[in-house]
Formats: sequence, C-alpha cells, structure tokens
Amino acid sequence: MSQQKRKFEARSASVDEAIRAGLAALDLKKDEVTIEILDEGSRGLLGIGSRDAVVLLTALEPEFAEEEVEEVEVVEEPAPESEPEPGPELVEEVADEVEEEAETAVAPSSPPQPVEEEAVPVDYQYDDGSEEAVALEVVRAMFDRMGVETTVTLRTTDVDEKTGKITPVIDVRGSNLSPFIGQRGDTLSTIQYLARLIVANTRGTRAYFVIDIDGYRERREQALARLAERMAGKVIDRQHPISLEPMPPQDRRIIHITLREMDGVYTSSTGEGSRRKVQILPAK
Amino acid sequence: MKELVDYIVKGLVDSPDDVNVYEENAYGSTILEISVGGDDMGRVIGRRGQVINSIRTIVKAASTNSQERYTVELLES
Repeated sequence: MSQQKRKFEARSASVDEAIRAGLAALDLKKDEVTIEILDEGSRGLLGIGSRDAVVLLTALEPEFAEEEVEEVEVVEEPAPESEPEPGPELVEEVADEVEEEAETAVAPSSPPQPVEEEAVPVDYQYDDGSEEAVALEVVRAMFDRMGVETTVTLRTTDVDEKTGKITPVIDVRGSNLSPFIGQRGDTLSTIQYLARLIVANTRGTRAYFVIDIDGYRERREQALARLAERMAGKVIDRQHPISLEPMPPQDRRIIHITLREMDGVYTSSTGEGSRRKVQILPAK
Repeated sequence: MKELVDYIVKGLVDSPDDVNVYEENAYGSTILEISVGGDDMGRVIGRRGQVINSIRTIVKAASTNSQERYTVELLES
C-alpha cells in the first residue's frame, strides 16, 4: 500500500453516516477497512444534548488476511499463551472469524474428534420420566426424522459455581451437521427451543437442557472468550470503548463473564432485541 | 419431512390425536399443511409466530441437502 492516509476519524449524526463519510474520505470500500465505533452518538431530547456518532476507520493491512487464515487453521490446537496482535481489525469481522473457527472444525474433513470424557453416555432409565431422559428421546426422534444419521448422547455440565446447578447436555454428533447449527448457531438454538417446548409439554414443567451439535457450543465459547480478552486489551490500551457486533444472549453472557474479573474494563449491553450488543468500556 | 413436522406438532399440543399433516405437491415444491384442534392453534403459532417459524427453520435446515423445497402452512380451524 502506498503512503495514502490509513486512518480516519469521522463524525456524523448517525453511525452509518459517519462510516459512509469516512469511507469516502479514505476512498475505500467497507471491506477494506476496520471500523471501530468510538461513540454511538445520541439524538438527545428535542435536539438538546445530542452527540455526534464517531467512528475510526483504519485501512486494512495486506498481511491481515493471511493472519486470519492462520488463526482459523490452528483452531483445534490449544490457544497459544499470547496471540500475536493482528493489528486493527473490524470488530464484525472478528466475530465472523469466531464463527468461521467453529464452522471449520465441523467440516467433514476434520479428523474425528475424541469424545470428551464426560460425554460417556450416562447409564439411566429411558422411561424414568426425568427431564434428561425425555430430552434425549425427543432429540433423537427429531434428528431421526430429519433424515440424518446421528449419535445422540447425554452428559451433564459441571456444577455451576454461582447457582450450584447441573444442566443436562444432549450431544448430537454426525457428519454434515452444519445446516443444523446455522449462522452463529441460530438453527441449533431453534432446534433447542422446540425440543425444550416438547419436553416441557410432555412433562408439564419447564425444561432447561442444552443441545450441542459436534461440540459447536464449546468451541464458540472458547473463541468468544478469546475475542473478549483481545478486545478488552485494546480498550485498555486506547482508553476508549469498543462495541462488539450484535450477538444472541448466550454469546453476550460469555463476553460478560469472561471480562467480569478483568481489571481496567467493564461491560454493558446496548440495543434492543436482535440488535443487542456488548460494549467493552475502560474502567473509570 | 412430513413425519418430522407431525412429530414436532404432536409434541407441542394438548390434543395430539387432532393433529394432521397433509402433503401437497406443487411445481417442485411441497406444501406441508398442519391441522390442529382449535384450542391448540395458539400453541403451534406461538408468541409472534415464534413456534411456527421455528418449525419452518428446522424444515429448511433438514431439506438443505435435498432437491425438494418445502413450505409449511397452518390451516385455520
């Protein structure tokens, strides 16, 4: 890249407008820059106290793309002690990368994963009417009727430190199951939602079990925790907030929990419904 | 696919015996029509259509690798 301007801070009435103005100033397209929202702005009340939205656009470094690929490839390895800082990056893109990591590992070409120790099927009565027994049966029945061959087993989570609860987890394994995970796991969430409704209806009481497909949830959790730590480091370095892209509640929860104990930052959620997202802010 | 929808809907309602799923073919696409007892309509639709739309999502995921395209409709009762 030549000596052209690589960073641009744009402000405007809305985030979208500021991004558009910044892209025009840099003469770049949206996928050629990283976008950080420094301030989402505020309309104020009747125009009083309104604040402009501020975004920082940074031209992507050519080597950035390669680093991203590398990270995707090492997905099965334990996380390195200190990851190389990939430089400024588009927050949305990072989350995509998180998604990609999880998806990549689902690919049929990946070697068969060793089944975790706790995934050894629990010995239990099929007809004891417990939530996990009914859940296992329902999830099996659903996947049978979806025309895919799967192995469905039951395990439980460790005791939750805060609530002291143990949650049943139904593990579904097979090949080519990525359509059942979906974008950001939303198809998986849908399957879990319906399966919980059926189990709740069958037993006449609420159901709390979790469904996982090919270890997707666990991988996504780890990837999100890494993302949270990396972004928190950035917030501390620059002393300005970073907004992550919108995420479902369980994903936001992981970000909040990961950073709960971290000095120098705090987190909050902004936005409504499916647009709700986590903001990481420097501690005051 | 009909069996999948049938299983899910029967699991959601109070009167599984009143559940029927009809399959209708129309120009390379299959329409799955669900019929339930009057009192169970709300269950199958869900708040803001969340349940019926979830059924559609799952049917779509399950048909990813097939040529067939499916539409899921709930018949008024």
